[in-house]
Amino acid sequence: MALSKNSGGHWGMQESMYSVIALVFILVACVELCDAAAAIDVYRLIQYDMSGSAYGSRFAALNHHAASLHFPPGSDLSRAVLIIPLRELNITFVREYINQKKPLGGLLFLLPEIFSFENGGKKQVHEKEQLKNLLAELEQLLIHANIPYPVYFAFENDEIDTVLADIKKNDAIGQPATATTGGYKLVIPTPEPKKVASPTFTNIQGWLSGLKADGDTNQLPTIAIVASYDTFGAAPALSVGSDSNGSGVVALLEIARLFSLLYSNPKTRGRYNLLFGLTSGGPYNYNGTQKWLRSFDQRLRESIDYAICLNSIGSWDNELWIHVSKPPENAYIKQIFEGFSNVAEELDIKVGLKHKKINISNPRVAWEHEQFSRLRVTAATLSEISTAPELLQGTGGLFDSRQFVNETAITRGVKLVAESLARHIYGHQGKNVQIFADGGSLAVNPAYIQSWLDLLSQTPRVAPFLSKNDPCVMALKKELADHTDEVNMQHEVLEGVFTFYDSTSARLNIYQVASVTFDLLLLLMLGSYLIVLFSFLVITTRGLDDLISLFRRPPSRKNNT
Amino acid sequence: MTMFHFFNCAILTFGPHAVYYSATPLSEYDTLGTSVKAALVYLGTALVKLVCLATFLQVSENDGFDPYQELLKALIGFIDVAGLYFALTQLTHRNISQNHKFQAVGLGWAFADSVLHRLAPLWVGARGLEFTWDYILQGLEANANLVLSISLAALGSLIWLRKNKPKTLIPIIYACAGIVATMPSITSYLRRGLGWHFSKVVGFELFTSLVMAFISWQLFSACQRPYRCDAHCPVVSYEIPFGHRCKLQKTQIVYIYRSRGMTLAPRLVDLIG
Repeated sequence: MALSKNSGGHWGMQESMYSVIALVFILVACVELCDAAAAIDVYRLIQYDMSGSAYGSRFAALNHHAASLHFPPGSDLSRAVLIIPLRELNITFVREYINQKKPLGGLLFLLPEIFSFENGGKKQVHEKEQLKNLLAELEQLLIHANIPYPVYFAFENDEIDTVLADIKKNDAIGQPATATTGGYKLVIPTPEPKKVASPTFTNIQGWLSGLKADGDTNQLPTIAIVASYDTFGAAPALSVGSDSNGSGVVALLEIARLFSLLYSNPKTRGRYNLLFGLTSGGPYNYNGTQKWLRSFDQRLRESIDYAICLNSIGSWDNELWIHVSKPPENAYIKQIFEGFSNVAEELDIKVGLKHKKINISNPRVAWEHEQFSRLRVTAATLSEISTAPELLQGTGGLFDSRQFVNETAITRGVKLVAESLARHIYGHQGKNVQIFADGGSLAVNPAYIQSWLDLLSQTPRVAPFLSKNDPCVMALKKELADHTDEVNMQHEVLEGVFTFYDSTSARLNIYQVASVTFDLLLLLMLGSYLIVLFSFLVITTRGLDDLISLFRRPPSRKNNT
Repeated sequence: MTMFHFFNCAILTFGPHAVYYSATPLSEYDTLGTSVKAALVYLGTALVKLVCLATFLQVSENDGFDPYQELLKALIGFIDVAGLYFALTQLTHRNISQNHKFQAVGLGWAFADSVLHRLAPLWVGARGLEFTWDYILQGLEANANLVLSISLAALGSLIWLRKNKPKTLIPIIYACAGIVATMPSITSYLRRGLGWHFSKVVGFELFTSLVMAFISWQLFSACQRPYRCDAHCPVVSYEIPFGHRCKLQKTQIVYIYRSRGMTLAPRLVDLIG
């Protein structure tokens, strides 16, 4: 019994020991709970593999000293992060650094606030165009380079401006960082970026049935209106793609709304089915559109009369282009183009026709209509862009923000497409009939366009980072369901060519640190202070002889032995 | 590197206490027990003050200076004095001279104050990457506090333990004790009411602590009893009798060590305070 009592007491002591040790561990772990000089949101450059080659920034975690562009020439930057505001960017400098693979600890680009979708929309900057072009060039450079250090984007604000001014001052003097003059350390504590496992692309389609006459067993012809809604840019967390292709999506929704009004009344329902498609996978050679078309029934595909693809119709003045892949002499193409031209003339818009032949062996698909054409469906793309974009170009990057999109342009584009379609459906080609006249109940609603455009300009839509039930996708589906009879979603997996990595945004902490020499100096001073204090106390309380005797061995001992 | 800074600030905050203990004769006479007891009394006093503050004080939203609240805080600060009285008079100490008693009590008091008020902020704050001067200033404040505590203990022992004092000095002693006891309220008034920067406040504390230490040292030695090493020695001194070496007779007086096996010279017994 004594034994059990003993062991019971021993067990109790062990338990309390463990709890004390656990408490000590918790206390030790609380190192990170200190506040920094500044903490801002930063967005990482995209990291992806294409056909096995690595592109983008391959690292995410950052823990280095900050440096500005005024660094003393010849200094070692392999453990420094360069902070570059966009206004002072010298693109050749950055290109040189990246192409020659010079070692660098990291890059932080500061973007002016006008590119921010949260609060930048109100400011007017007179060099908008210049900055936009510079940013576009920078983006193309960064996307196609393999960068072995972290690259981040942030928006300018007061905190980081003062920090940067301080850094520039120090660099200009060439002064090493000391405690009072402020050396800064940038820390981003994120784990290693991992592959996004099986990224899903979601295609949303809405079906508006036409009026079938009694006794007619044939399938009604279909007209398809398609726009791709996803984007790709240098910073996936900032790729809102207001023009490419937010404008196309908004236009499609407005057209769907107008035609649903028309089709709701059987007296005004046309003899054509309308198929609205919001496709994903646009930047990747319209892969999503291809899968969507392949999933169709053969009969449905054959019943499509023609398809109109909308791509970037948000920032044009007077000229739009219709891109086709069949030769312009083709009867169908002629019909479509004439229909559009007639309406365009009335609306005071100039419409041009551009023909680009498809090369079957070339995997590059520059326009969405090419995917239709490859499956023998007549199609055309309406766009403000006159030349075919390269791969991953013009897909809604950093510079494509709400500032640069004009909702009147979209309104005119919607009117153009809707009138042309309606004249074709109701057989009024060549007649001067205004179905969607301004001021009527079927007028194009600019408030609808503006609110959807604002919403889309605040949601980044890079497809691999959109889950199946992403709120944006669900919102588009719901809106389309409001305007059409039947809505279907198709989930596909992008296989093979592209692989993406996560960790798109993080929080940057900026610390003001003292150099090691400062700590050593302080230690030296404290040591001498304590020694002086010690001597002072010994002298005043015990006498000077005692102080001296501390350092001398007592000679009497030796004599005794 | 940041642990380095923590280490630096720690030795600034707690080093002087250890140095004081080892440099003065306190270490020779093994007065550690007294210091520990004084530290425990400080802990108890701090708890009582906390309870009183929680009961009587209202929490104000702004950081301004409210005279009524500060007056209450000053009154509660006198509990400190009561605690010091308890530590000096009520606890049983081994045979230590008065000089060493007040030093040991003051040292224990200051050490407990530093640990309670400065260790936790130091551990949490000084190890981070961000550099501030705060912790170095805090260490200097701890030094000033040490000097103030020892002065207060000296004046306290003069008031309560010394029986016969020169009449003229009594009001001065009480006045100085009052000033030292109200130092916390004065510093908080400077910081909140006048808005002084922390470094200025610390400088003021260091200066006043040195001044008060000097004044209390003078008062203490003025109240010392005269001592003779030997009945026949004409030399009269006011110094601490232990370890005294009679210069005139050039003989070594029996060193009065801590009573660890050594007996006291009988003729010196009644001279010890």
